[in-house]
Amino acid sequence: MSKVLGLLNFEPSYVYVKGIEDFRPISAASILGRYRVIDFMLSNFTNSGIDSIKVYIKNRPRSIVEHITRTSYNINSKRGKIHLLHGENNFGNNELFNVDIQAFKTYMEFVDIENSSYVVIAPSHFIFKQDFSEMLNYHIVSKNDITILYQKANDTDQNYLMGDILSLDENKRVTKFHKNRGKYKNGNVSLETYIMPTLTFKQLVEEAAATSSLYSLSDIIADSAKVLKIGAYQHHGFCACISTLKAYYDANMQIKKEKEMLKLINEDWPIYTMTNDSCPTLYKPSAKVNGSIVANGCQIEGTVINSVIGRNVIIKEGAVVKDSVIMPDTLIDKNVKLECAVVDRLSIITHIKDLKGTKEEPIYIKRGDRI
Amino acid sequence: MKKNNMVAMILAGGRGSRLFDLTKKVAKPAVHFGGKYRIIDFALSNCANSHISTVGVLVQYESILLSSYSARSSTWGLDSKGGGVYVLSPREKDETGLGLYNGTADAIYQNLDFLDQEEAEYVLVLSGDHIYKMNYEKMLQKHIESKAEATIAVIEVPKKEASRFGIMNTDSTDRIVEFEEKPKEPKSNLASMGVYIFNYRTLRRYLREDAKNSESAHDFGKNVIPAYLNDGLKLQAYRFKGYWKDVGTIDSLWEANMDLLKDNSGLDLFDPSWKIYTDDASATPQCIGSKAKLNNAFITQGAVINGEVNHSVIFSGTRIEEGAKVTESVIMNDAVVGKNAKLTRCLVADGIRIPEGMVLGKKNSDEILLVSKALIAKAGENHE
Repeated sequence: MSKVLGLLNFEPSYVYVKGIEDFRPISAASILGRYRVIDFMLSNFTNSGIDSIKVYIKNRPRSIVEHITRTSYNINSKRGKIHLLHGENNFGNNELFNVDIQAFKTYMEFVDIENSSYVVIAPSHFIFKQDFSEMLNYHIVSKNDITILYQKANDTDQNYLMGDILSLDENKRVTKFHKNRGKYKNGNVSLETYIMPTLTFKQLVEEAAATSSLYSLSDIIADSAKVLKIGAYQHHGFCACISTLKAYYDANMQIKKEKEMLKLINEDWPIYTMTNDSCPTLYKPSAKVNGSIVANGCQIEGTVINSVIGRNVIIKEGAVVKDSVIMPDTLIDKNVKLECAVVDRLSIITHIKDLKGTKEEPIYIKRGDRI
Repeated sequence: MKKNNMVAMILAGGRGSRLFDLTKKVAKPAVHFGGKYRIIDFALSNCANSHISTVGVLVQYESILLSSYSARSSTWGLDSKGGGVYVLSPREKDETGLGLYNGTADAIYQNLDFLDQEEAEYVLVLSGDHIYKMNYEKMLQKHIESKAEATIAVIEVPKKEASRFGIMNTDSTDRIVEFEEKPKEPKSNLASMGVYIFNYRTLRRYLREDAKNSESAHDFGKNVIPAYLNDGLKLQAYRFKGYWKDVGTIDSLWEANMDLLKDNSGLDLFDPSWKIYTDDASATPQCIGSKAKLNNAFITQGAVINGEVNHSVIFSGTRIEEGAKVTESVIMNDAVVGKNAKLTRCLVADGIRIPEGMVLGKKNSDEILLVSKALIAKAGENHE
């Protein structure tokens, strides 16, 4: 097989996950209790047999760097590599890179060095399961210049806002790109995952940089629809675009159902993550738990209904956690009632006894808050 | 950083025949414990947390899994340069040919070349089948302070149980004056934990002597320690306070698991300063279904619970199906408890599938029922 290089892009500017993103890129956010968002896409790469991966980081690299360097994504420790590429010498700027093209261009030498035939470019704010080797086969057989992964969605008025919607012809070639402004319910959503020859990628990056400093990879690909053969490859199954707090909350709630979770994560398609060496979770006699997923290291005395509980969380007697996402290392004290809440890491909820959001607008508790 | 020149030797070669089917294809130290662990994780993590960098694991009985597991030193952070986990199985040697380990002392004797090469000053001899958290560095400090030739860790046991253990009789300074293996009428209640620190040069001499003695059982408790005492060498007892359990039988293995459900067992696995490390399973988080009922349970990732779990420990990859009821039981890795099955006071071996509706075990029974493949087959016949 020809060499394939995986490029993990950073999130585009339309992504803003209120609160959570103030502390780390969304790709580093905890999800489903024991994972980070980025684990799903990196595991897609390695489960597809791609073990040379570049991870581009837009800003606040600390949590991503720490997580990735301490996780073995089942990559051969000598021949494979995950390369972390974040901007340097940019103190004072909020962001190290503004658009992805800037990052791609800056670090093109690290792509060149790999001598790959193809690149798979995937987003870091999406969660889905995809075998890229199947997609590559399709790309080669259908003689496309570029192949884009897409999903037939019926909720584009609610989700995937400001992403690309694809118009396809009968041969599944993309004829036009539209920005999703939420007008329609149905559409072919681009999953911002592209396969193309490395050479094409390099040309596109050069072209975009020459066009405008605001141009992104998706912009230049949209521009090229007339001159290049852009094919579309359909993704089936669960897909989440984590671009808002509600989308983050919904993704947790949807995947936590046993059937959905086991489709996304199973023996044939493991999702790798950093081990914390926490012991199993202790459910004390007073605990009442159902409809939830729970990570290891928790001590639960209270009631947990329909929620996602992160690692090393303590829920005291009389506390009720309902329809909520509790990130790792938090403490929910006695008699605290939480409903539709997203509680960020390392926070302690003890004085405020009632916190209630809605499924439409979950309430967010800041990282490290003591309330 | 190498903090001391003590090499740990973990005796992990025994069969553990009182665990029956659990150790048919797996050596006892590799048997699963406490949801996500293997028994040997405790000794290995204790070594790592005590800043010991070189650990020998002496394997013999059914060693494939145990050897490959122990050899992954990075699991316990024992992978620093100059250290590591060395799997020491019996090997063919230049002069003596191939010999199996014939007793605990013989196992160490056959690896004196390894200890020479590591330039060990002290040797810590451990058992691979005990559940406890212990700081061996503190014990070494005491050993050095007391200027003893050997220090033996002891734990106070109830007087009436003392005759099950090797008992140390000590003077007022905790110097050991007598050692009795399973005495009928114990004079003290200080039981040996099977944790020894030896000054290596002296131990080397005694092991070489012992090897020449054809009448010796080549056992630390029966031969080496008595030989030290006979010659008037200083043997010191090191009192350990805390949780310690030998999990050599189905009942004791079950009990040690049940202890994890208690608040004050003395074994705190939540303590972040002394973690017990183990192989990281790439499993999903625990899935507690909407019909699940939990009443005091210790559950690890990869388990899917749709039934009722009372006072039980649930290991990785298990499924408890709807309507099933598990009470005072231990369900080991990848076992499935079928719909409406009822288990009471059972220890279910790895990978066992309990058929729908099967009822096993009895409330208040004296013995814990080991649920193995053979038992399921037999129960199935009777069912028909």
